[in-house]
Amino acid sequence: MRRAFPAMVAVLALVAGCDGARPPEPPAIACAAGSVSGQGSSAQTGAVNAWIQNYQIACAQAAIEYASTGSGAGVRAFLAGTGDFAGTDTPLSAAEQKRAEARCGGTAVHLPLVTGPIAFVYNVAGVDALHLTPATLAGIFSGKVTVWNDPVIAADNPYASLPATRIQPVHRSDSSGTTDTFTRYLTAQAGKAWAHGSGGTWRAPGGIGQRGSHRAAAAVARTEGAIGYVEASYARVNDLPVAWLGDQQRGFAAPSDYATGRAIESARITDDLRLELDPGNGAYPLVTVTYQVVCQAGAGEATRGFLAYAASAAGQSAAAYAGSVPLPESLRARVADAVAGLR
Amino acid sequence: MPAVMEATRNTFDDIVRPQTPARLRLWTGLVIGAAGTLLLSLALVMSQVQEQVRIIGTEATPRAVAAADLYFALSDLDAQVTRMLLAGDADETASSRIDALARYKERGRQADADLRALTSPDAAVAGIYVVDLTDGLAVYRQRVGQAMTAQELAGGEQPAGRPAAGALGHYTQATNLLHQRLLPDAQKLLDESRRELDEAYADKRSTESAATAVAVLLGGTLLALLVFLQVWLARRFRRLLNPALLTATGLSLLLLVTSALVLGAQERRLAEARDAGLTPYLELARLRAVGYDASADTSRYLVSANLDRYRKDFDAKAATLAGGVGRVAGPEAERRWQAYQKVHERITGLADRGRTAEAVGALTGIRRGDAAFDFAYYDAAVAAAGEDRRAGFDRALRTAELTLTGWVTLPVVTFVLVALLVLAGVRKRLAEYR
Repeated sequence: MRRAFPAMVAVLALVAGCDGARPPEPPAIACAAGSVSGQGSSAQTGAVNAWIQNYQIACAQAAIEYASTGSGAGVRAFLAGTGDFAGTDTPLSAAEQKRAEARCGGTAVHLPLVTGPIAFVYNVAGVDALHLTPATLAGIFSGKVTVWNDPVIAADNPYASLPATRIQPVHRSDSSGTTDTFTRYLTAQAGKAWAHGSGGTWRAPGGIGQRGSHRAAAAVARTEGAIGYVEASYARVNDLPVAWLGDQQRGFAAPSDYATGRAIESARITDDLRLELDPGNGAYPLVTVTYQVVCQAGAGEATRGFLAYAASAAGQSAAAYAGSVPLPESLRARVADAVAGLR
Repeated sequence: MPAVMEATRNTFDDIVRPQTPARLRLWTGLVIGAAGTLLLSLALVMSQVQEQVRIIGTEATPRAVAAADLYFALSDLDAQVTRMLLAGDADETASSRIDALARYKERGRQADADLRALTSPDAAVAGIYVVDLTDGLAVYRQRVGQAMTAQELAGGEQPAGRPAAGALGHYTQATNLLHQRLLPDAQKLLDESRRELDEAYADKRSTESAATAVAVLLGGTLLALLVFLQVWLARRFRRLLNPALLTATGLSLLLLVTSALVLGAQERRLAEARDAGLTPYLELARLRAVGYDASADTSRYLVSANLDRYRKDFDAKAATLAGGVGRVAGPEAERRWQAYQKVHERITGLADRGRTAEAVGALTGIRRGDAAFDFAYYDAAVAAAGEDRRAGFDRALRTAELTLTGWVTLPVVTFVLVALLVLAGVRKRLAEYR
């Protein structure tokens, strides 16, 4: 009789013409009419384009534009009064913050909305897993470690069969946020092994210079013995193997969504939502965080609606589909609260 | 042997003897026998209907959906290759290129998964197309790889919208292969899967007709026997009603009426679900594929340096969409498609005037009025309509499955109850003769 019970219930529903319960509708995007413009970081172009497309599809009266001018140009334009928000891979300096507040006539808010790891892609015969410490990376990219079976690399990879192939380090020849994040990492973590400082422009001698991540990835793909750094999405779509970063004490991690999430979760987050990364066990240490800088007061309704969508779970899913790593829920909720505080 | 024949004859004589106890046993046996035959037959045909609904839900429909999805995935695969080629090596189109590459990979995996889903030892005809498509897809990917390598080797020499000559040659081979061999084969697979789906529905309908015949014939016999036994007992034993027999009659009648209702309503609901859900969904999936292919024609026109063939291809596909989109996806989707057509005309006009960079900008841009956005805007309307239809069909299918749950057990349980009630109804009367 127990098996017959659903039949009786269903008969009643069927005869009465009822369907089964409809699944709950996803939360609707809070639409606002108007136009929004932003400019800045090219690292977040994929995520921002996905948000723009989805928001404009959902909201017929909204028009959003974003120009991938690079972080520096984007911030400078914002400080000069251009655009509703700026995308930047590094938080504003104290001087920039002061100028931003002057432009806004009040507080300028940082909204960390896009994160993604920087991956080291390589092309080495017979090597399917590679562990690298900051010091080894510094040796490779400063030209001191020149062959793949160098004892320094072998020490990081005791079980790998490394060939005597010459290393071909590939770096970005154009000014880029990726280079800036990488060289800051080396400066902080590699100690004396890295003597070339940090910044968006590559300063170490030698190597193969390539303009743009897509050319850097392509150069690694066609050059035996090559290694280069690109946003992880380029590694993924080009099916290039990626190195694990870390050290013997804290362990090594791959540039996966999980390890990137761990890095973000373990970061110290200031009251104004700036992230200070301090990767612990299981976290990937080289992560780009892209902030949207926006005025707390005076942001238009469409700007608030658009950023609220970006900070929503649906917005983060869309960004993940476009190649970035979704924010951990606790941080996403804080960012969403900050957006709700815009007036 | 004569002893056995004698014993059989005696037993038969006992049963058909005109004396009351023998007659009572005869009618009781006939009623229980008829109930057993009816209710067990009903359980069997219900089990068959359940199996056929399962086949529709887990085999025929997923195959039809996979075939429609394959046609779509292949159409978009070539559209993404065209985007990659169009983006060239230019910095300003870097995000469009990586997005196209990611979608190209995704559509490739989608096509592979659809082909796996369409591989079945029971579908020999479809199997031939699956083998041909798998082989053709490998050649297509090889041509695309050659086109991309040629493009990369040309390096920064080639601006957006002007692919290297070698790349264009390999691409032309790839897109010809897709349109002249792969898409026609995918269409044949789609036709074959639709035929299988129609067959599955027809099989279910004929089983339901058999079930209805069983219910009417055997059910009528059982009810007649129960009523006869009730009347016979009332006359013979001068009692107005036998409550146990009355309950057994009511239970049998209830089961018969309910089973007829269930079969009829379930059939109606599934037929409606197919007509209002699955069929429009499959049509929308095909229209989406044609839309993607048409939008790729805008890009193909540019990368081929204004080859008129692609303008004509777009016009032919636009004619297909003009008739179908509004009818199946609604006026809003049709309005959005018309908006995209205007963008297409603007872009081809720019290309005709030699303003290629401007045309590429309008093609890859995501502002309102740019091709990439206006197409996504149109596609979102068609996709939403398709998902709605699909969800409606899935709900109806789940309801039909739920409705039939327990209908193998229910007749058997009813048979046991009817038999016990009939025995209980005649027990006291038989006891009077001991």
